Amino acid sequence: MTFTSSRVTPWAERRQRPAKGKSGKELAHESAEKHVLGTAVYIDDMPELAGTLHAVVGKSSISCGLITKLDLAAVWASPGVVDVVTLDDVPGETDIGPVYKGDLIFADGRVDFHGQPLFAVVAESFDQAKRAALQAQVEYQQEEPILSVEQALQQNSFVNPAHTMQKGDAVSALASAPRQLHGQLYVRGQEQFYLETQISYAIPGEDDGMQVYCSTQHPSEVQKLVAEVLDIPLSLVTVEVRRMGGGFGGKETQAAPWACIAAVCANRLQRPVKMRLDRQDDMVLTGKRHDFLNRYQLGINDDGKILAADIELAGFCGYTADLSDAIVDRAMFHVDNAYNLHDTRVIGHRCRTNTVSNTAFRGFGGPQGMIFAECMLDDIARAVGKDPLDVRKLNLYQDGDSTHYGQPIENYILPEIIDTLEADCDYRQRRAEITELNRTNPWKKRGLALTPVRFGISFTLQFLNQAGALVHVYTDGSVHLSHGGTEMGQGLYTKVAQVVANEFNIDIDMVRVAATTTDKVPNTSPTAASSGSDLNGKAAQNACQIIKSRLVVFAEQHFGVNASDVRFDNNHVVITKDGAEQWLAFSDFVDLAYRNRISLSAAGFYSTPKIHYDRDTASGRPFFYYAMGAACAEVEIDTLTGEYKVLRTDILHDVGTSLNPAIDIGQIEGGFVQGMGWLTTEELLWDGQGRLSSASAATYKIPTSVDVPEHFSVRLFGRPNAEETIYHSKAVGEPPLMHGIAVWCALRDAVASVADYKVSPQLDTPATPERVLNAVMAMQSLQAGG
Amino acid sequence: MGVAKPLSNRRDGRQTGVSVIRFNLNGRWIESSEIDPNCTILKFLRTNLKQVDVKEGCAAGDCGACTIMLGQMTEHGIEYQTLNACIALMANVHDRYLLTSSGIGRAGKLHPAQQALVDCHGSQCGFCTPGFVMSMANLQQNACKAPGHIPDVAEIHEALSGNLCRCTGYRPIIEAAQRMHELPQQNLEYISLRSGVQSFDPRDAEQPLLEANGRRLFMPESEAQLKALLALYPHARLWAGGTDAGLEITQRFTQFDTIICVNRVAELTRCSEPGQDADDQLWLGACVTFSQAEKLLAESFPSFAQLLHRIGSRQIRNMGTLGGNIANASPIGDTPPVFFALDAILEIDGIHGHREVAIGDFYLGYKQTVLQPGEYLRAVRIPKLKATEHLWLHKVSKRYDDDISAVMFALYLSVEGGVISSARLACGGMAATPKLAEKTNAALSGKHFAVSSFEQAAAFIDQDYQPISDVRASDQYRLQVTRNLLIKAFHDMTTAQGDAA
Repeated sequence: MTFTSSRVTPWAERRQRPAKGKSGKELAHESAEKHVLGTAVYIDDMPELAGTLHAVVGKSSISCGLITKLDLAAVWASPGVVDVVTLDDVPGETDIGPVYKGDLIFADGRVDFHGQPLFAVVAESFDQAKRAALQAQVEYQQEEPILSVEQALQQNSFVNPAHTMQKGDAVSALASAPRQLHGQLYVRGQEQFYLETQISYAIPGEDDGMQVYCSTQHPSEVQKLVAEVLDIPLSLVTVEVRRMGGGFGGKETQAAPWACIAAVCANRLQRPVKMRLDRQDDMVLTGKRHDFLNRYQLGINDDGKILAADIELAGFCGYTADLSDAIVDRAMFHVDNAYNLHDTRVIGHRCRTNTVSNTAFRGFGGPQGMIFAECMLDDIARAVGKDPLDVRKLNLYQDGDSTHYGQPIENYILPEIIDTLEADCDYRQRRAEITELNRTNPWKKRGLALTPVRFGISFTLQFLNQAGALVHVYTDGSVHLSHGGTEMGQGLYTKVAQVVANEFNIDIDMVRVAATTTDKVPNTSPTAASSGSDLNGKAAQNACQIIKSRLVVFAEQHFGVNASDVRFDNNHVVITKDGAEQWLAFSDFVDLAYRNRISLSAAGFYSTPKIHYDRDTASGRPFFYYAMGAACAEVEIDTLTGEYKVLRTDILHDVGTSLNPAIDIGQIEGGFVQGMGWLTTEELLWDGQGRLSSASAATYKIPTSVDVPEHFSVRLFGRPNAEETIYHSKAVGEPPLMHGIAVWCALRDAVASVADYKVSPQLDTPATPERVLNAVMAMQSLQAGG
Repeated sequence: MGVAKPLSNRRDGRQTGVSVIRFNLNGRWIESSEIDPNCTILKFLRTNLKQVDVKEGCAAGDCGACTIMLGQMTEHGIEYQTLNACIALMANVHDRYLLTSSGIGRAGKLHPAQQALVDCHGSQCGFCTPGFVMSMANLQQNACKAPGHIPDVAEIHEALSGNLCRCTGYRPIIEAAQRMHELPQQNLEYISLRSGVQSFDPRDAEQPLLEANGRRLFMPESEAQLKALLALYPHARLWAGGTDAGLEITQRFTQFDTIICVNRVAELTRCSEPGQDADDQLWLGACVTFSQAEKLLAESFPSFAQLLHRIGSRQIRNMGTLGGNIANASPIGDTPPVFFALDAILEIDGIHGHREVAIGDFYLGYKQTVLQPGEYLRAVRIPKLKATEHLWLHKVSKRYDDDISAVMFALYLSVEGGVISSARLACGGMAATPKLAEKTNAALSGKHFAVSSFEQAAAFIDQDYQPISDVRASDQYRLQVTRNLLIKAFHDMTTAQGDAA
C-alpha cells in the first residue's frame, strides 16, 4: 500500500459525493486561511540566509541633463556599506529594456527622469543602505525637460512613431455629416499601489548561476534579463514567485530592474542580496498608468447617431518605450468601446517625456481609450438633448458590424446586458426622480449614468498568447500543479487547481499548486492582459488530458475494457465490465498504473486559436473574444465645494460560464473600485521640475472602505462564452476596472444639471472636488451668461 | 540592535545602566535590551523577532498593513487599541500586550474576524489582510467587552478607515466585519495572558528606557521627571503620538540622539485639572489622544468630535495627540483652526516655569512656535459654548477618510438678537500657519445674521489668505472653496447643523 497522510480524507468517504471544489464552485482563495493568519509568505517574509545584504539605489535629483560629477566616496564611507555598484560593474548587458531598448540599469552619463537610478549601494541593513545612498555627491548640467504631453507633441518628442487605424473615409464622412462636434479630455494616469512594493532576493549559486525570488508577473522575462546582465545562459537563472502582494500590471516589466540589480550585486559579492523598494522609492522609480490627451471630431445626425469619427490619442509614455507602443495601441482599439463609429480614423501618439517610463496597469491603455468613447457619447447626448443612455443604445454595434481594425462583431450580447441592467436598476424611474430633485435643490445635485464595457481579450502581441503547465500525479493520488501564470491575488492558482480537480474529478484538496518557477514551466508569457486563466487553465487541462489518456489506455489493457468503459467519477476511477462497475479510489488506480510503468507526469501546452493581426495594415482579429458588462452609478455633488459621494452602483458583468463565481465577483468589485479611484481621488502629479509630487500614500489617495457605494450590487451575466475557452468561461481581470467610468459619467451628469443638461461639462480626470467645483462654476457662468 | 529573548522567571531584568524593555507578544513575555531609540515596532518585529505576519506597506502610517493591537492592563482587564507599528517607536510597547494576526488564531481555529474574512472572500492578494484582521479583531474585542453592542456600518468604516486594500473593493471585508459578530466571540485577553501576568519593580523613569549606539530614549511618567530631563536635555526631541515625527525616521531616515516620550506623563494625559472650572470650559491635557478626545468632546462640541473622525485613521487617532497636533505647527493640522475659532488658551511649562498663551499668539511662522528649548505644551483650554454661540467646521480633502486637508475651515459665531456679535473664522491649509481670517471676521461682526452678510464677508477671504498651490489643491480652489464654505456655513446653521449649546 502507498503511504497516505492523515490529512487526506479517506477515499471511501470521497466516493459518496461529487468531488469538492471543481470548476464553477464558489471556492475560497487557495491561500485565504494563510492570508488571514499572516502566514502566507511574501518574498520579504522568507527566512533570510546568513550573510544576506540589502541593496538600495541612489537617485538623480534632476529630470533631464548630463551628470558632470558622480562622487561616491561618502557612500562608500557610510556605516555598514559593503559595496557600491555602477554601470561599469555590470558584467553583461546594461540595457534592460523589455521589448524596445533604452532602459539602462543605471544612468549612463545622462539623466532622463527625476529619480533615475545612478548607482546601487549594498549594506548590511536596509536602513544603512538607505542612508548611504543619500551621501552621493552628484553634479549635473541641466537641460530643459519635456514634462507634458502637449510639450512632447509640439516638440515631436516620441518614443515610437504614431500609428493609425482606419475604417472607411472619416474625413469626407465628417464633412458631409449633418452636425459636427469636437472635444477633448485629459485623462490622468494612475499609480498601481500594490500593497507589497517591488522586491527581489538574489542568491548566487554554482557555475555563476543565480536563483532569484522576485515579486513579478513575468518570471521568464526577469530570468532573461538577469541572464543578460550577468552574461550567462538562461539555463543558469531560475526565477520563482509564489505570490505577489498585488501586481495590477505594475510588476509586468517593472519588477525586472530590481531583480537585475540584486543579481549583479549578489554575483559580485557572492552573497545573497535583497532589493526591496520602500514605498517612496517604489512610487518614484516605477512606471504608472499613462496619462492621455485625447481629442475628437465627430460627425453625427440630429438623432445623435455617429456617422464619422476622427480621433487623436496621445499617451504620456515617459522617457522610454517600455510597453507604451502596445498600450497606446490598446487605447486605440478601445476608443469605440461598444459603439459603431462608422467612418473612423484613430491616430495614436507615443509621447516621450522626462518622467519615469510608464507601463502596464490593469486595462493597459484600454481604459484611457474607453473613457473617451463615453465622453463622446455624453457630449452627443447634450448636443441633441437626449438621455445619454438613449444615445448609447442608438449607437451600439450590432452583429455583423466591423470595428475600425477590421474585427467582425459577433455574439454581441451587450445590448441584452444593457437592457437587463437598465430594467433591474430602475434607471428610468431614478432618472425622473433625480431630474426633479435637481430642480429643487440648489446645493446638492445628483447624477446618474449607465455605461457599457467591451474589452478585447488576448495579448495584441500575438506570440504571447501561449502557456505551459506541468502536472504530476503521485502514487497517493495527490496532484502537483505548476503553470506559467503568477498569483497576485486574482485567484489564478485557485481557478487552475479547480480545472485540474475537474479534469480528474477529484477533490480540490488533492491538488497542490506550486510556486511559479522558470525551471518547471519555461518560456512563459506574463500574467497579464486578463489572460491568466484562459491560457494557463487550458494548458493545465491539456496536461491532465495527456495523463488521463495514458491512464485510459492502461485501463483498457489492464482490465480488458474499452475506453468508453473507463470514467473518472467522485474521486474514483470506475471500470465498467460486463455490466458491473468496479470503483477504484483515484489513489489506488494511479498507484496501479505506476506499478505498470505508466508515466503520471505531463507538460501541457496551449496557444490561443483564431487570432491574427497585421499591424502594417492595422487590421485583423487581434482578440479571441470580448468580455462585456455594464454599470450604473449614482452620485451626489455639493455645488459649493465640489465634494461628492457615490451613492449607488449596479453592475452586470459577463464572465461566460464562471470558473469560480466568488473570485469573479471579487475581481469585478475590486476592479470597479480601482477604476473609480482612478477617476476620482487618485491624482498623479508632477511638479514644474518633473518631480513626482504625489509620491506617498499621504499625497496619493486610493479609495478607502467608506468610498464604496453603500448600495453596491454585482451580478454575473451567465451566458457561456461562444468561443472554446476553458469551460466556456471569460477573462475577468481587467474589464471590470472600466465600470468605474460610470462614476465619472454620473459626476458629469450631476454637473450638467447645473446648466439644465444643455451643455456637456469639461471634466478632466481625476474628478477631484476641485475639478468638480470648477466644472460647476463653468456651468453656472454659462447659465448666467445665457 | 539587541537580541530578544523570552523572559525568564526574573521579576526585573534591569540592572543599573542597562536599559531593558519588556512586552508581551501574543501571550509570550519578551525582554530586550540595546534597542536603538529610533527603532520602530514594525522593524523590531520583522527584523529581530522574524514576526513577519505584520507587513510593511508604506512605512508612513497610511496603509494599515502593519496594524497591531496594543493592550494595556487596567482595572477592567486589558484594554486594546490598534496602531500603526510602522511609525510607532519600540518604546511604546514597554509593559504592554501586543497581538498580531498569527497570534490570535491558528489553522483550523481561526479568530472570528479571520473566519469571516475567509467565508466572505475578503482577501485577494492577502498582503493587507493581517492589518484588516487586527482592525476587525479590535472591533470585535470592544464588542466583547460591551455585550449586546453590535457595531453598525459607520463604526465598521471607522475601524477600517486606516486600512487600504487595493484588490477587493472592500465590499466583502465590510460584510465580514458584520458577519464576524454572528460567530462565537473570543476574548483576546486569554491569549495575552496565556503565560500569566508579570509585574515588575517600578523603573527609574529618569533613566533611559532605551539606550544603544550612543542614542537614548526617556519615558518619564510625571511632569517632575519630564522637567528634570528637560533640564539635562533641553534640545531632546519631544515625542507624543509620533504620527508625524515617526515619518522623520521612516521616510527621511533621521536618527535622533535623544528622544523624550511624553505620552506616559500622567498629568499630560488627563482630561481635567484640579481648580479649573469644568462648567464653562474644557481642560484637555496635551497628550490626550484624538480617540480620547472624540469621547470628551462629544457632548459639548459635537461638530468638533465629528471632525476628529476624519483626522487620520482609527490607528492614527489612537496614537496622535491634541498637543502634538498643536505644537507640531503644521499649516495643515486639523485641530489648530478649531482652537483658533474657540479662542483656546495653551498652557506651557518646562525649565522656565509655567506660562499661558492664547493660541493666536502661539505660532511664529511655518513650523515655528513660541516654545523654547526645554519647554513643552502642557494643556489646552477651550471655553464651552453658550446658547448664542455656534461652531461650524468643515474639512475639504480629496478623499473623505484619512486624508490631509486642502482647506480646514473653522467658524465660531456669536449671534445675539439676529446680529453677529462676534465672528472668528480660522483656516488651515491657507497660509504658512493656521490663521485667523481677520478681515473677514471684522466684516461679519456687527452684521445681521443673513446670507448677504456672509456673501459680503466672503469677499475679504482673498485679503486674509494667499494660499499656495500644491499636491492637495490649487491656490484658486482653496480661496474659492473657503468663500463658498462661508455661504455653506450660513445655510447649514440656519438648518441647525452646527454646534450650539
